[in-house]
Amino acid sequence: MQTPKSQSSSPYYRTKLRGLYTTAKADAEAECGILRRALDKIAEIKSLLEERRIAARMAGVYSDTDPPRKTMRRGVLMTLLQQSAMTLPLWIGKPGESPPPLCGAIPASSDYVAKQGDKVAARVKAVDGDEQWILAEVVSYNHSTNKYEVDDIDEEGKERHTLSRRRIIPLPQWKANPETDPEALFSKDQLVLALYPQTTCFYRALIHTPPHRPQDDYSVLFEDTSYADGYSPPLNVAQRYVVACKENKKK
Amino acid sequence: MSELKDCPPLKYYDFKPVDHVKVCPRYTAVLSRSEDDGIGIEELDTLQLELETLLSSASRRLRALEEQRQILTDWQDKKGDKRFLKLGKDPDLAASSRHSKPKKQKLDGKGSHGPGPGPGRPKSKNIQTKVQEFEFEVDPQDIPRNPKNDAPNRFWASVEPYCADITNEEIRVLEELLKPPEDEAEYYKIPALGKHYSQRWAQEDLLEEQREGARANDKKKSMIGPLSELDAKDVDALLKKSESQHEPPEDGCPFGPLTQRLLQALVEENIISPMEDSPIPDIPGKDDGAGTSPRSQGKAFSVPHTRSLEARIREELVSQGLLDSDERQGVGGESEDEVLAELQKRQAELKALTAHNRSRKQELLKLARDEMRKQELRQRVRVADNEVMEAFRRIMAARQKKRTPTKKEKDQAWKALKERESILKLLDG
Repeated sequence: MQTPKSQSSSPYYRTKLRGLYTTAKADAEAECGILRRALDKIAEIKSLLEERRIAARMAGVYSDTDPPRKTMRRGVLMTLLQQSAMTLPLWIGKPGESPPPLCGAIPASSDYVAKQGDKVAARVKAVDGDEQWILAEVVSYNHSTNKYEVDDIDEEGKERHTLSRRRIIPLPQWKANPETDPEALFSKDQLVLALYPQTTCFYRALIHTPPHRPQDDYSVLFEDTSYADGYSPPLNVAQRYVVACKENKKK
Repeated sequence: MSELKDCPPLKYYDFKPVDHVKVCPRYTAVLSRSEDDGIGIEELDTLQLELETLLSSASRRLRALEEQRQILTDWQDKKGDKRFLKLGKDPDLAASSRHSKPKKQKLDGKGSHGPGPGPGRPKSKNIQTKVQEFEFEVDPQDIPRNPKNDAPNRFWASVEPYCADITNEEIRVLEELLKPPEDEAEYYKIPALGKHYSQRWAQEDLLEEQREGARANDKKKSMIGPLSELDAKDVDALLKKSESQHEPPEDGCPFGPLTQRLLQALVEENIISPMEDSPIPDIPGKDDGAGTSPRSQGKAFSVPHTRSLEARIREELVSQGLLDSDERQGVGGESEDEVLAELQKRQAELKALTAHNRSRKQELLKLARDEMRKQELRQRVRVADNEVMEAFRRIMAARQKKRTPTKKEKDQAWKALKERESILKLLDG
């Protein structure tokens, strides 16, 4: 390292280095710009698809293809969930930008209203009085009553739940990049609500390890009384399905 | 190692670009397709993931570059109190070092309770390590640096007056030197002989005697003044008379000195001065004007004859080898000749020397003027160099942007080059 350092001590090389850095920076910025545009385009396409799906679903509620769909949908549903988790856009901020709300572990702003089609964790009261957090999709929001109408993504045929805002936790809309914004991730031993794999319900869990790379999942320990130490072995849950748990200890 | 202090804490990142083929196969495949084949909707997801990977690596690179550039700029701006006061910058360093070295940081170990205090904690940790690092770097290098760098500076400072450019002032000094000095003429004057010292002394002695006599008589000093003056004039007349008495032949005799000497040598007694019969028969044949002997004093002396007699005698004596043919200024002039000769010798030397000096000064002036002209040309060459460099940079920038340089740029470049060449030719020629 002696030579590069001694070289860099002369003003000529310093200026040259600075010029090179500036050029490289400009190139990197250009590259980022183009990539962002491409990603935006993809997001656009996806939103269009989503809209179409919602519109189709609206229309399809009244069709009688429900039952076959119900049974068939399990595997498909899981795949869909997985895909949705994977393709959650990754937040890559420009230098100096901090991650926005609903990126990773960053909670939504207090006056945030979930839009139609947003996925949320909804605390619903089952028929037997049991409360459960389920994965649901927002249908609408009633400003006057401050209540959401949500649909369980699993069984669309079921009734719509109308829930107050307190029972709705919007799921993150961006993945946090562990390499650039580690502060937007949950850290070890944090209490969260995580979607149990192969189900559509959220349960309390402790973070075991946060993801290392953008595509990685959280490794969590679910609270499970059937295990000796009260926790399940580490299970992987995508970033999309991990939200902060505000609940106090068990109902 | 001593140059470490000069060096800012740069990290020379090795940016490995994302290998598109390995990491982003779908992306590469899509890119290799022509525009007509579309992108299938099912490919969107994979594409999205790959693009995100690329973007994240690019932004990491961007952040690192920005940080390095910032370091370089900041370090260049504030050379003085460096790193210890760089705590303000350290958050940047900490943040970006986090970005660039994720494996080193234990993300688990942060224990942040939210995004706010999260960045704060690792920042403070990094500040500690960074400051420590810098402390170790700076201290050992400070001490040996100071005495080392002095010598070349002193050397160049001492050489500077010899290598510096010639200024107009110096040429003016040279020109002034060349102006002929006013007092030169004085050196060439041969002062008049003035009164011979024997006469002067005689005069002075007489004056003295007169004065003493007057003093003896009158004892009034005031009367001496005019008396002595009067006496001076009388003294002169007296002296002249005495001179004429002592050397009567000079006044009275028209014969040249050689003739007189010859005769004197031949004549035993002064009394028999007019009798020149005996020597004259020796040279009767040559002498027409023999009749001009003082015997016939009544006759008016014909001066031309005496002159020719003198000349003939001299000729004869010279041919006999008895007399040197060199010039004699006068009887009492021997000693004066020496002085005069010496004076003349010295004057000749002075003349030669001054002429030599003048010629050298003029040469120097000419050289200085030439050098000034060359300096001007060199300055123009420097300007032309800069222009050529500018044109070069412009073309390189154009090439970097992957576009061919415009005609205007090419013309500028050629023009700059030709200008420079012409100036160089002038310089050499």
